[in-house]
Amino acid sequence: MKRAGHCYVFAFLVAASLFAGSARSAQDKKPQKISASAIQILLFQSDEVKLPAEFQMALYEHVIEELQKAGKFEHVYRDGDHAAANTKDLITLRSNVTGFKQGSERARQVTTVAGATSITIHCQFVDKSGKVQLERDITGKVRFFGGNLRATYDFAKKVAKEVQESF
Amino acid sequence: MSMRRVVPTLFVAAVALLSVVLLCPPGFAQQPVAVPDTKQVLGLEGVKHNATGTLSIEKGTLQFKAGKKKADLPVTSINDVITGNDSQRAIGGFIGTLTMFGPYGSGRFLSLFRTKIDTLTIQYHDASGGLHGAIFTMPVGKAEDVKKELLAEGAKTTIPIEPAATGQAPASPKKEQKP
Repeated sequence: MKRAGHCYVFAFLVAASLFAGSARSAQDKKPQKISASAIQILLFQSDEVKLPAEFQMALYEHVIEELQKAGKFEHVYRDGDHAAANTKDLITLRSNVTGFKQGSERARQVTTVAGATSITIHCQFVDKSGKVQLERDITGKVRFFGGNLRATYDFAKKVAKEVQESF
Repeated sequence: MSMRRVVPTLFVAAVALLSVVLLCPPGFAQQPVAVPDTKQVLGLEGVKHNATGTLSIEKGTLQFKAGKKKADLPVTSINDVITGNDSQRAIGGFIGTLTMFGPYGSGRFLSLFRTKIDTLTIQYHDASGGLHGAIFTMPVGKAEDVKKELLAEGAKTTIPIEPAATGQAPASPKKEQKP
């Protein structure tokens, strides 16, 4: 009986050490952070999804605001800013809206579970040579309260989080 | 004898002048446009998000005033003015209905706001060429008036005002081609 108990303890320790080892190796494999002093945000494209102008501008302005708040870059340049051309290690954010699910603010207010709006955007962080340094599909959602505008804010928050982790 | 000839001529000239003044479209009148109860959703520097105030256009400047805060924007720096109706026209229609059945509901119109308000979106450039966007919501029917005034003052748009909205009948292209 005692021997069986020892076996269980031994098996548990082996499993725990294996798990810790794999976690450490996963940490070691973490990609290196991308180095850049400035980022330029291009106006959002919507080739597949027909996006109203107000939605396009809300996404663009919210992303700029959140990246400025994040403080990862010395400069956050807007689309068309001439000063960006003089920056050596500039990263450009290109975004293309690939899908959305139309929700309902009324349904959200009534049920608080139904009526979620989501918008999915393919984001590419491209360096000056044109090489894609980072590529992600990021989804902005509004689940509970608020208008569809909150989905653009949620998206911008997620972009800023991605930048915090990768730069 | 000469007075008899001059009086009717003057009368006709006066009637013609009066009719020109009366028939002149109101868009030509240089009256400043002011829209109270306008909400600046985002985009204007120096004004908080969702600030409610008065949007006015006068002497080539778009001004938004909310309490003590105000933002001025030269109208000539505006390179696109789009109302909520413009977006619906551009996205809706037959093609829009067809693409509604596409993946992710790609043709469906995704509106940012509830429909009982007018929206006005402007794109403008700062001194270094950086693109900015500002979104306003205002009482129903006001966005078209603001857009007309902005275009009259020198702003540009990618979606021209509908002929019905201007109150002028469109000139048929066939008629234009005739000698």
